Amino acid sequence: MPRLVIDGKTVVAKEGTFLLQAARDAGIDIPTLCEHPAVEPYGGCRLCLVDVTRPEWDGWSKMVVSCLFPVEDGILVSTRSERVTQTRKVVLDLLLARCPETPLVQELAAEHGIDRTSYVPNPEPTDCILCGLCTRICDRLGTSAISSANRGVGREIAPPFHEAPPDCIGCLACAEICPTGFIQYQSGSARRVIWNKEFKMLRCPTCGRGHITEDQARYYDGRNGVPARYFEPCDACKRKEQAAIAVSLMAAPEGR
Amino acid sequence: MSQLPCVDMTLLDGILERYPREEPSLIQVLQDVQRTYNYLPCEVLERVASALGVPLAKVFSVSTFYKAFSLTPQGRVVIKVCTGTACHIRGAGQLIDEVQRRLRIGPGETTEDLGFTLQTVNCVGACAMAPVVIVGEKYVGAAKASDLAKHLGATEGGDHAN
Repeated sequence: MPRLVIDGKTVVAKEGTFLLQAARDAGIDIPTLCEHPAVEPYGGCRLCLVDVTRPEWDGWSKMVVSCLFPVEDGILVSTRSERVTQTRKVVLDLLLARCPETPLVQELAAEHGIDRTSYVPNPEPTDCILCGLCTRICDRLGTSAISSANRGVGREIAPPFHEAPPDCIGCLACAEICPTGFIQYQSGSARRVIWNKEFKMLRCPTCGRGHITEDQARYYDGRNGVPARYFEPCDACKRKEQAAIAVSLMAAPEGR
Repeated sequence: MSQLPCVDMTLLDGILERYPREEPSLIQVLQDVQRTYNYLPCEVLERVASALGVPLAKVFSVSTFYKAFSLTPQGRVVIKVCTGTACHIRGAGQLIDEVQRRLRIGPGETTEDLGFTLQTVNCVGACAMAPVVIVGEKYVGAAKASDLAKHLGATEGGDHAN
């Protein structure tokens, strides 16, 4: 198992893990915006930059994004060297210029001593930080209904042709994972609207609450061997049913 | 979803036949579609997505990422005016004005008869012969605004260039 030193602390990491995880396991905090345990690391936000060196490198070091850097035996890692904090500040300064009104970005920037961006603030403020969490979770859990479009300064997250995405099943994973609340939706017992697409809700036969969309039920049907009727009752009613079974088993001694 | 309903889908079948039906073929197929239709029509992209088994969102992402692809119809002749430093200094601005005056299209626009599209590009690597205009496939070095009409007229773009 690789032994490395992070901020002066000797850490034994699991083979094949990335630096970010190794640091967190050792209780060392590294700020991130595009990282989420449900999706593969992406290296998009550049906040998790760290300095990596080796004793034989004669003081030379390289900056890497810790979320994508596999642990190596014998490396010395600094998560808050002067160079790292300065670079992280530039990243946050730029993010704040892009998203001057976004609370999450404001807070993170303030934590690093930036109250106002030193660049020209975006004249059309957006809450989207282009972390790609929404598209990655949609690739993983959903149907790859949305993606990034254009490039460079014009890059954005969009459904195909900027129209209601035909593949979207309305699962809300993109909106739930979005760290800034950029992705808006409305959801009620009868209908749900996200990405300008309207969905009919499937009502729980027990409590009558609309809990998933009909498109979701159709998409999940048969996946991983789970039949469609599993999705008919809502999670709350399913839990109640399970609890009732458990209670009845406990009440009946022969059920043990 | 389609703005232009009259797209000949049979042309696409010929393109799809040439490549294995898998994700890695996407860019080659899109290049052929761009060449054949002069743009990437929505309904063609939908067919490409299902034929190659690539989500439509990914096809859209790739289509908007590369400058070589366009989602709106391009002219039969694309006029590229280089606006790199050398060309800029030697009068690229006047060349753009001249095209604009003759064809009534600004940078990024296409004439109504789909004859010409005007584009500005950053540098074509031919600074020694600045200012450079590329009309269709032809590189015109030391371009003069007064000569542009001749070059435009010599193309298949249309006859309103004069």
